[in-house]
Amino acid sequence: MSEAAIFLFMIATFALLAMVLKLPIGVSLVFSALAGSLLGGEGAALHHLVEGSFGYFDTILIIVTAMIFMKVLQESGILDTVTALLLKSFYRRKVALLLTVMALVMFPGMITGSSTTAVLSTGALVAPVLMKMGLSRVKTGALIAMGAILGMIAPPVNILVMIMGGGVDMPYVGFTFPLLIIVIPLAVSTSLWLGYKNIKIIEYNQMKEVLPESFFKNYGFRLYLPLIIVIGLLLGQSLMPGIIPDIGIPAIFLLGSFLGIFCGKPLNILKTTQKAIEESMPILCILVGVGMFIQIMTLTGARGWIVTSFLSFPPLLLYLGIATSMPLFGAVSAFGSASILGVPFILAMIDKNAILTSSALSAVAGLGDLMPPTALAGIFAAQVVGEANYFRVLRFCLMPALFELVIGMAVLLFAPLLDKLI
Amino acid sequence: MKCLKDRLISGLLLLLSLALCFFSTQKFREQHKKETLFPSEGLASREMLSSYFPGLIDTPGDTEVYIYGGQNPGGNILILGGAHPNEPAGYVTAVILIENIQVSQGKIIVIPRANNSGFTHSEPQEGNLRGYSLETPGGKRFFRFGSRLTNPIHQWPDPTLYINPSGQKLSGQESRNLNRCYPGKPKGHLTEKIAFAIMEIIKKEKIDLAIDLHEAAPEYPVVNAIVFHENSAELASYSLMELQQIGFEFRLELSPNNLRGLSHREWGDHAQVMAILLETANPSQGRLKGKSSLSLIIEGKDRNYSKAAKFGLLFVPFDSEGIPVKLRVARHLAAIKILLSSFNELNPEKRIEVNHMPSSSQVKLKGIGQFLCPPYRK
Repeated sequence: MSEAAIFLFMIATFALLAMVLKLPIGVSLVFSALAGSLLGGEGAALHHLVEGSFGYFDTILIIVTAMIFMKVLQESGILDTVTALLLKSFYRRKVALLLTVMALVMFPGMITGSSTTAVLSTGALVAPVLMKMGLSRVKTGALIAMGAILGMIAPPVNILVMIMGGGVDMPYVGFTFPLLIIVIPLAVSTSLWLGYKNIKIIEYNQMKEVLPESFFKNYGFRLYLPLIIVIGLLLGQSLMPGIIPDIGIPAIFLLGSFLGIFCGKPLNILKTTQKAIEESMPILCILVGVGMFIQIMTLTGARGWIVTSFLSFPPLLLYLGIATSMPLFGAVSAFGSASILGVPFILAMIDKNAILTSSALSAVAGLGDLMPPTALAGIFAAQVVGEANYFRVLRFCLMPALFELVIGMAVLLFAPLLDKLI
Repeated sequence: MKCLKDRLISGLLLLLSLALCFFSTQKFREQHKKETLFPSEGLASREMLSSYFPGLIDTPGDTEVYIYGGQNPGGNILILGGAHPNEPAGYVTAVILIENIQVSQGKIIVIPRANNSGFTHSEPQEGNLRGYSLETPGGKRFFRFGSRLTNPIHQWPDPTLYINPSGQKLSGQESRNLNRCYPGKPKGHLTEKIAFAIMEIIKKEKIDLAIDLHEAAPEYPVVNAIVFHENSAELASYSLMELQQIGFEFRLELSPNNLRGLSHREWGDHAQVMAILLETANPSQGRLKGKSSLSLIIEGKDRNYSKAAKFGLLFVPFDSEGIPVKLRVARHLAAIKILLSSFNELNPEKRIEVNHMPSSSQVKLKGIGQFLCPPYRK
């Protein structure tokens, strides 16, 4: 049985289970991985299924703890208080609001390299502000999703580039300027594209009407303590390593959640945690299923077949291959896309400046966080704004995402010219 | 009713998951068993890495150190295998040395499982086999195929951003890559402690030449290569000419100054030792690899790599014959032998004399198994 046939069989099984039999996406992935293993002559390969399921263990921990943190912010009144503060500051300034919001959403991504962290921390803070200022629920979600992805690509911490650099022994040095060239135009254009028309400049009285209750008068400065601790630790671990201990992103979110119990309105932490786990369960299940799916693809040779096929395209089609395969593979994981496809693509373009190449590829790979079924940025942005159908959020991400793709590909194509300019 | 049905399905899936974990446990536990090695009669002593750095005592990073010679003064050589346990030729070459050599002048120290923890697991989503068997005259010998990184059971969680002891910024998981952690830290995490212990061996044993045995994917530019620190430039270039004369093509690569934490850079900088890293081409660790199989590991055959070679995507020749592990081990053995003879010529006051080291031509002709002890030897 050829690798191509095994891969197509796995995809067909997944489609049958998920779309016809309407099984959950995660469960469909698990059974299609099992089917691929059987067809590939590997038997049930139970230990491979278990091993693959651990591929996203760290990501799963981040998602669970970030969701708990977000719920604690909501239940304790911290979220409403921050929303009130931001509304009071920006209700007369449309462009300043949009640019500030974009910077705030990008910030956690810039220091952790994780779009999920960005969506579920500062994304959750700015969502109500934008909606109260007139931006629709789905456009707000799109702005948060895109901001989180841009934060993931922006310096100082771009994990996608680091992964690709690790594969070609390239030090993470000299990336700030190339990454800023890519990210700044995208950040400005995306925030204005999505928000400028819809955000309304309102009068003081109108603002007072939509202003949520601030609990600052009840709890004072300690209300902000969970946020300060979380942002401080996230920032400290990347800017002052060795001085600020790196306890890991999940532990930081847990610490923030714990503080949240004592810093705002009383809350039932057990119920809050249950709600967070319940809401994150579908995506956790998908990540476990995707891990198994990829493990079986690699075991049976389907992964290698896909990578080799894309690399074998003639030079012009190679760019088309990059533009399609990297975001598509991001459906599995943007980090996986950077490692599995990004490294061979850099090597295939070894005559170009590898810093520019990998910066551009990271922008393209980052779009994978919008690709179903995982679509981490899209799914969590939809949850943050309370939209049940995340595809409605993805619809508004389409134009900014295409623009990001164009910029990424332009940097790749014009790398020799840019190399002389910078 | 619907609620009950949902609960039943959830319960069933939970039971299935538990059964899956239970029945696969055995496979994961087996990975923690070390295969037995059979040192030659030339073995002078066997130490543990922790005897050079007690910080490793009772940790999964502690590993065997095999010492040959030392009776007659001469040069001191360190050979490291298994820094990346998914690179079989490095590990097997070290085992062949352990099971064959006798040293009559100078001293050779071999560490076959440099990252012992890396041998106890395999990387999720790489779909690797647990190991491979090599045929010896007395039966099959099993060798473990591990991971490039330390087992996360032994070192977890990874930091978001890893700044290694030399100040290089790397992605978090590289904190578990031994060959990014030099010169190590005595109070660092496990992998940094292993790196520190290896530096301690180099310093305490007054090593003159240190060789790190590796493999790389065929699509990676630094492959079939001798990577050298500037301290060993003369030795490397001298050896290259000798290797070319016996039919082995190698690239010479100077260790980059701005890529920190690797053996060929930090061993030279911190211990002033002549540092060399050898790379051969291993299709079973590449991103283009096809179905995981014994044929891929042992015979080095892979359709995807044959196709990629036709499109000019590789840095080594690759056809339907593949690059078998015996050829890769032969390359390592040839390079070690010539590095030692070149070392002798450049340092006549520190000669090193090694006997019974299998030649590359014999390994190519007879296969690896002929130079490994049978599995039942006491």
